[in-house]
Amino acid sequence: MSNYLKLVNFELNRFIKLYMVLIGVTIVSQLVGAVLVSRRYLKDVNQAIYEDGMSQSSFIEQFGQFSFYDFGMSLWFVGPIALSIVVLLIYVFFIWYRDWFAKNTFIYRLLTLPTARLNVYLSKATTIFLMVLGLVALQLILIPIESRVLEWMVPLDFRNDLSLDQIIEQLHVMSVLIPQSILQFIRNFGIGFMSVFIVFTAILLERSFKWKGILLGILYGAFTIGLYVLPGVLESLISPGYFYQSEKFFIAIAMVVIISSLSIWLGRLLLKYKVTV
Amino acid sequence: MIEVTNMQKKFGRKKVLQGVSFTANKGEITCLIGVNGAGKTTILNAIMNLTPLNSGQVLMDGQLINKKSYEKITFIPDAITMLPQMRIKEAMQFMADFYKSWNQQRANEMISFFKLNKEDKISTLSKGNTAKVNLLLGLALDVDYILMDEPFSGIDIFSREQIADVFTSHLIEDRGVIITTHEINDIEHLIDKAILLGDGQVIKQFNAEEIREQEGKSVIDVMREVYIK
Amino acid sequence: MKMNLNTRDPVYVQVIRYFKEQIAKRLLEPGEEIPSRRELANKLKINPNTVQRAYKEMEGQGLIYTERNLPSRITKEEQILKAVREELILEAVESFISSVRSINVPIDEAVKLVKENYEEESNE
Repeated sequence: MSNYLKLVNFELNRFIKLYMVLIGVTIVSQLVGAVLVSRRYLKDVNQAIYEDGMSQSSFIEQFGQFSFYDFGMSLWFVGPIALSIVVLLIYVFFIWYRDWFAKNTFIYRLLTLPTARLNVYLSKATTIFLMVLGLVALQLILIPIESRVLEWMVPLDFRNDLSLDQIIEQLHVMSVLIPQSILQFIRNFGIGFMSVFIVFTAILLERSFKWKGILLGILYGAFTIGLYVLPGVLESLISPGYFYQSEKFFIAIAMVVIISSLSIWLGRLLLKYKVTV
Repeated sequence: MIEVTNMQKKFGRKKVLQGVSFTANKGEITCLIGVNGAGKTTILNAIMNLTPLNSGQVLMDGQLINKKSYEKITFIPDAITMLPQMRIKEAMQFMADFYKSWNQQRANEMISFFKLNKEDKISTLSKGNTAKVNLLLGLALDVDYILMDEPFSGIDIFSREQIADVFTSHLIEDRGVIITTHEINDIEHLIDKAILLGDGQVIKQFNAEEIREQEGKSVIDVMREVYIK
Repeated sequence: MKMNLNTRDPVYVQVIRYFKEQIAKRLLEPGEEIPSRRELANKLKINPNTVQRAYKEMEGQGLIYTERNLPSRITKEEQILKAVREELILEAVESFISSVRSINVPIDEAVKLVKENYEEESNE
């Protein structure tokens, strides 16, 4: 256990600089964006009312009130989230390949630590999860702050204040990352974690069997995705609407658990018996 | 004792090892000799369970290698296995964090013997000093067996001398060492046992001192007989 | 301590020979402490096991002795010391004889030349 935690700490430190950059970019871009987007709205308001002589009510009628949604759809808000997602997706691969292909092949050290090799696997997965959760938490802190910025910038009459719940509901990205119900949260993140395990194990297949391994990795990915959608497909083929919504949910969770366990088990075997430096 | 029995390894269709067997005793320096590509590194990797074998077995003191073995056997590859952005002291801390067998006193001894600076970043070190840090990270473990892959290749003559000094010091004494080289000159007088590899097999294995005594031949004489026919 | 090793003679034999020479030349005094096996291995850049073997052999021949856990010392027995000296002289003479014999030099001529040259070199 303590070796696992030490490894998690170690893996976090290896990524911390880039991670801090991501956090910095997100904070700066979203706060600056909140100011700029609301200013642009105010500029439109001023132009319409003072230059074109439009009344306040007809402006609102025509262009709508300003809400978080307007800011939330801007590149200032979505850009850093997309960037973070892309960087983390790449890092899911890089977290392994850097140990083989960097100048100093660190995989020798990792595989000769006096600890189960599974800990290496799990510590890398944990690192990814903590990074994702950290960014989601940051977003949860940032949204209320950004709401407050918008309130400062735009006069009450032109504003449609949204609660955190409403904001999350309206913004599609957010509703996936921060679902309303705890069950949805579990399912969404379960699927995310399962995907990480699948990719990790596919990477280890490639590392164990080289060229053949790439094919095996792709097949493994296809197999697990097939396994995941199998209950749904069977249902729609045999008897559509057979399952209640809650049953579907538990089937999804069960598939996540099964496929994650399978991936971890296979990953462990590969690390123990098949992987090559 | 490390016992390698009938080690076989294929890379694709290429048979790199075709039934390699040998033993290496504790308290002795065993040298695997062969041209580049003879499979020396593969043998060390396989002993450490860092690459799977097609067949064969490795025993250390009668047991298969498992995770606990890494407190008793260590591998010093030909390139350093620490992150380049780490300082030497951080690399040592990493070792101390994970290995019970890490001996900081011995590490400090080597730091001063090799005249290294703990604050230096690994990426800024010269080739020779990088090799020394690499050696230090392995030798400061209180392990019974040490595997070294080409510790003398590609570094300057003075670093080589310093590293050769290590072999006759208490840092190596009483441990079992398996070392690979394609150049025997640096260590001819140091080794106990020579294992000549060729075509994925052990062509000849002998005790260096015995062959001098019984046949009046140097290790290089034997190599000449074996490799140049 | 300086010693040139060749690669064909057993290293332990070369080590023993080195000690005998030092003893014969009285560079190593009777009763003098000799380096530990590790020290010597380190100085000569040779395997400590080899030094161990050389020391064991020397102990067997009575060239060195060890009391309890103390470092080994050169023997004080005059007879052995004398024998070492004689052994080296005889060896030198034998190799001299075989060289002169191989070029068919009569013994009288050889001895005369030896005397002349030996004195000449000593006077220089």
